[in-house]
Amino acid sequence: MAVYLEAFRMVLAPDVIIAILLSSIYGLVVGSLPGLSATMATALLVPVTFYLSPIAAIATIISASAMAIFSGDIPGALLRIPGTPASAAYTDEAYAMTRKGQAELALGAGLWFSALGGIAGTLSLIVLAPPLAEIALSFSTFEYFWLALLGLMCATLVARSSPVKAIASMLLGLMVTCVGMENPGGIPRFTFGNTDLLGGIEVIPALVGVFAVSEVMRAMLSPEPPKMPKRKYNSIMAGQWMLTKKYWRQMTRGNFIGIIIGVLPGAGADMAAWVSYAMSKRFSKEPEKFGTGHPEGLVEAGASNNASLASGWVPALLFGVPGDTITAIAIGVLYMKGLNPGPTLFTEKASSMYALYIVFIVANIIMIPLGIIMIRVASTVLRAPRSAILPVIVLCCAVGSFATGNSLFAVLTVAAFGILGYVMEANGYPVAAMVLGIVMGTMVEQSFVTSLIKSDGSILPFFERPVSSVLAALTIGALAWPVLFWLWRTFQQKPASAKA
Amino acid sequence: MRLSDRITGGFLVILGSGTAYAGSLLPPVPGQQVGPNVFPLVCGSLVAICGLLIALRVGAHFEEEAEADFSAHGGVIESELPQSRLYKLRVLIPPALLLFYVLVVERLGFIPTAAIIAFAVAVTLGARLKLAIPVALLAPIGVHLIFFKLLRVPLPDGLLPMPW
Repeated sequence: MAVYLEAFRMVLAPDVIIAILLSSIYGLVVGSLPGLSATMATALLVPVTFYLSPIAAIATIISASAMAIFSGDIPGALLRIPGTPASAAYTDEAYAMTRKGQAELALGAGLWFSALGGIAGTLSLIVLAPPLAEIALSFSTFEYFWLALLGLMCATLVARSSPVKAIASMLLGLMVTCVGMENPGGIPRFTFGNTDLLGGIEVIPALVGVFAVSEVMRAMLSPEPPKMPKRKYNSIMAGQWMLTKKYWRQMTRGNFIGIIIGVLPGAGADMAAWVSYAMSKRFSKEPEKFGTGHPEGLVEAGASNNASLASGWVPALLFGVPGDTITAIAIGVLYMKGLNPGPTLFTEKASSMYALYIVFIVANIIMIPLGIIMIRVASTVLRAPRSAILPVIVLCCAVGSFATGNSLFAVLTVAAFGILGYVMEANGYPVAAMVLGIVMGTMVEQSFVTSLIKSDGSILPFFERPVSSVLAALTIGALAWPVLFWLWRTFQQKPASAKA
Repeated sequence: MRLSDRITGGFLVILGSGTAYAGSLLPPVPGQQVGPNVFPLVCGSLVAICGLLIALRVGAHFEEEAEADFSAHGGVIESELPQSRLYKLRVLIPPALLLFYVLVVERLGFIPTAAIIAFAVAVTLGARLKLAIPVALLAPIGVHLIFFKLLRVPLPDGLLPMPW
């Protein structure tokens, strides 16, 4: 009981409350601006979290990302431009509802089911974490190696691109972590005599470059998005209780799918929304109504993407394996704040964990009033032209990365990774896979080399322990899956074309 | 910046094999068979293999499907917009401005450098002077207030120290 009280005291501290409020507003605004994603919003917040207390730092990440995932629905429904990739799956549906004169219902559904989904995701985190922590206590470096590899493989599986390119991106990320002195031998590796490279390439400037600078670079070539039309709204939450009663099955299914996809390492909110929308259509009694402004798919996908956000923290907290790109950033913050991920977090820092749960629930509850305000002022806020917002983003990239180590080299890193991210994205190499590689590289190498030293250079012990053999099988399965899928498809098409 | 798979794949083959070779030259941990050499060796070789597969266009049809899906959902694929080669170089403006920041911030100070950068970005994105000048004046001061005053990041004063 004392632990719970301590957790409440931590969350109710004035700096935490202010941090939650400000980062919520920040998340709502950035998420609703087309082209600025939730991941970018989170990446730009990291330098700010350096200067906050541990709980306040985690709270800013949690609330900003949850709000940004919801508010991505706003331009989706009003302009048919998703504010974040996580809203892309049901943008057409929401826009069709707006054109039928049901903008309030569409936006309200996005808000209401996002908040409920976020709470469902949090409950899954509360329920799943302790038993998994129990299992994780018995893990050795062999299991950690396979787990990290499995996470990386999942990231490449869900990328909406060529699996070979996804794997190449992930390996590029691992190669980036080879630079520097932090390796098993402690010798300068790939530093080319440059003292700035001795400490390795820092994760945060790389993230800011890949997610923020490359986004600004893309904006240089793309046309300005259309202005939000001014409009008045009736009650936004009016129809939601009716929708909840009518579609509670879809909502629950969306929550479950979201939770599962969130827990899977590497797959995040955008994937959850795509899968849930497709599933809703597949199992619907009236699939012909989908795409014409029918709220069913909206309910399921909206419930799913926010649920995945919270459950993505399960592997992040327990194993240090990120559930998606946002938790990849969060892991960096956890380490920085002395809350190193691992099963012992739940015994040694229990009150901090409970505080984290409370922050999640609080963020999802205040999402409703703040979201209603955001929807009502959206047409005014979103009229700010891109040419006024992006200069600020560029300055924040420069100053934010400088703040990570007070060195100008970090600013160069940001610029370099901006170009790299832009070129990769333009050529179909998923940058999220590379980012996960960069975040997890050190862990993969350490567990790999330590295991090799333990086994005296033999590969066999990697498969001998029961848990590690299961994880190994899953990893190899993830690698073989695209090949099998491709073979199956080729064989199916051949008889069909032979008949024709 | 759309390059053919042959070019990006070929680049990965060179990068991967270079890393693998350079990695193999590193000494192992004394008294062990393995050390800092193993990881670059493994990663580099795998990147080279992936590069080869990409150059041979293995798995490319997954990508075409994803692209078709993307444009069906209202996304605009960049190459569809009509643009001249020179115009496309605009993409390099943000990283170039960051480089500019690194080169001059110590001498000019944060506020003047940031004002130049903000002005440049605003103008490239098509802002009129009526908007670009206020952005260039206010954005640096706002960022300076938050990062210097509130978060105590040591931003250089240079020519124009702020009164706080």
